[in-house]
Amino acid sequence: MSSADAQRNRAAWDAASDEYQERHREFIGRGEPRWGMWQLPESELQILGDVAGKDVLEYGCGAAQWSILLARAGARPVALDNSGRQLEHARALIAEAGVDFPLVHASAGEAPLEDESFDIVFCDHGAMTFADPYATVPEVARLLRPGGLFAFSHSTPLALVCFDVETDKVVPELLRPLFGLHRIDWVENEPVEFNLPQGKWIELFRDNGFVVEDLVEVQPPEGASSTYRSKEETEWSRRWPMEQIWKLRKA
Amino acid sequence: MVASLADGADLEAAQGVSSDSIERNRSEWTGWAADFVESAERNWASDRISWGVWDVPEVELQVLPDLDGKDVVELGCGTAYVSAWLARHGARPVGVDPTPAQLETARRMQKQHGLEFPLIEAPAEEVPLPDASFDLAVSEYGASIWADPHRWIPEAGRLLRRGGHLVFLVNGTLFNLCSKDVEEPPDTAFQRDYFGLHRLEWSDDDSVNFYLGYGDWIRLLRANGFEVERLVEIQAPESAQPSRFEALPLPDWARQWPSEDIWVARKVR
Repeated sequence: MSSADAQRNRAAWDAASDEYQERHREFIGRGEPRWGMWQLPESELQILGDVAGKDVLEYGCGAAQWSILLARAGARPVALDNSGRQLEHARALIAEAGVDFPLVHASAGEAPLEDESFDIVFCDHGAMTFADPYATVPEVARLLRPGGLFAFSHSTPLALVCFDVETDKVVPELLRPLFGLHRIDWVENEPVEFNLPQGKWIELFRDNGFVVEDLVEVQPPEGASSTYRSKEETEWSRRWPMEQIWKLRKA
Repeated sequence: MVASLADGADLEAAQGVSSDSIERNRSEWTGWAADFVESAERNWASDRISWGVWDVPEVELQVLPDLDGKDVVELGCGTAYVSAWLARHGARPVGVDPTPAQLETARRMQKQHGLEFPLIEAPAEEVPLPDASFDLAVSEYGASIWADPHRWIPEAGRLLRRGGHLVFLVNGTLFNLCSKDVEEPPDTAFQRDYFGLHRLEWSDDDSVNFYLGYGDWIRLLRANGFEVERLVEIQAPESAQPSRFEALPLPDWARQWPSEDIWVARKVR
């Protein structure tokens, strides 16, 4: 990832942050940890498991809604984001929640944090969406202790192949090649996103010493609501996965 | 027989486990065997290991472990040309296939080329060979497509020694979404849902194909003691010509989306 992309995404998120937090405040501000675009409960998915006493890095935290809940569950979170405005929202929510943990303002590819200092690195549509995986996966490998857990949710490569930029809709059809999927810069003034074909993800994980423990392809329950996705997109996601969660272990 | 679900198999995919497919596929393959003699002769005459309908060389993909002196079982070997290639690279193969007519071709090729190794008539779902007796299990357009993964993956796990490799080629996942149930190449429209992918039946013959989504493959492999090492999504080379199989993607399609996936896994437990 070029520093130009990091700069662009910082500016885009600084500009979008207030509206984003306002629009999703209630949906992602719930009292228990939940994942993704349909807010499926961690208690059901069991991706992170018991976090008590663990050093946890939220990798692209936004307003740190996740880290606040993990702090309450006994974790020692550190929350990183590339957007200063997002971190201002985080500060307000942290004060409101009466918890305390470090916030780090940095691009995910260059986290100013020590080697092997975390038991868990995770994000929920965070840095693994908005930073280049060829920079972030090695960075996470550096930050995790041996045996540590790396988990993240993001869009499926399938959803990106099926996304119609013109109509802003996802369709049941292959619209663009999967081969070569990497840097996604389809909409002006929006953040640049990154993704890879599944085989390339697995190769990158293995090259950086991760064992693939699971790939959860999210199927929202019938009638699931979302402030991120339209009813039509939720219907699509009942048939083809739009969101997935990787669970990886540093060997 | 009523098979039990593999340990840890994805119960959500519980169209359950297939027991009808062995007979149905054996019967169809008995009829098709004559059409695979010519490709058997061509493949047996070569010693170059390659993968899939685009003939992508092993030297490029490097999905196989060291073969020298290794015990290999080929599951759904058909005319056993893959086993022949592996034998020529120093392996000790055993070919397993449920269709006698295919094994007949394989035996004839063995005699013709003076290259003999055991051929066993059995479905990959129930292989009459001892536990932990192989270093590599391989399947290219074999059990990997024609046997229920909830039955053949546990069998592969049972047959392998700890540290052994499983390498298999399946139809590409995006191809599976687009493939038609008749002998026509796919276009770009989805023909079926991703969730629940398991069996594909055809409107113009009685055979049964199997496939899983990415996450289901990973969970099934791990539940049977495997660690996933690689997923190679095969891209047709620029020089690719249409394959002789009418239901498979044309080169232009397969240049954009994977028509074939190779999974490489290692038995660690």
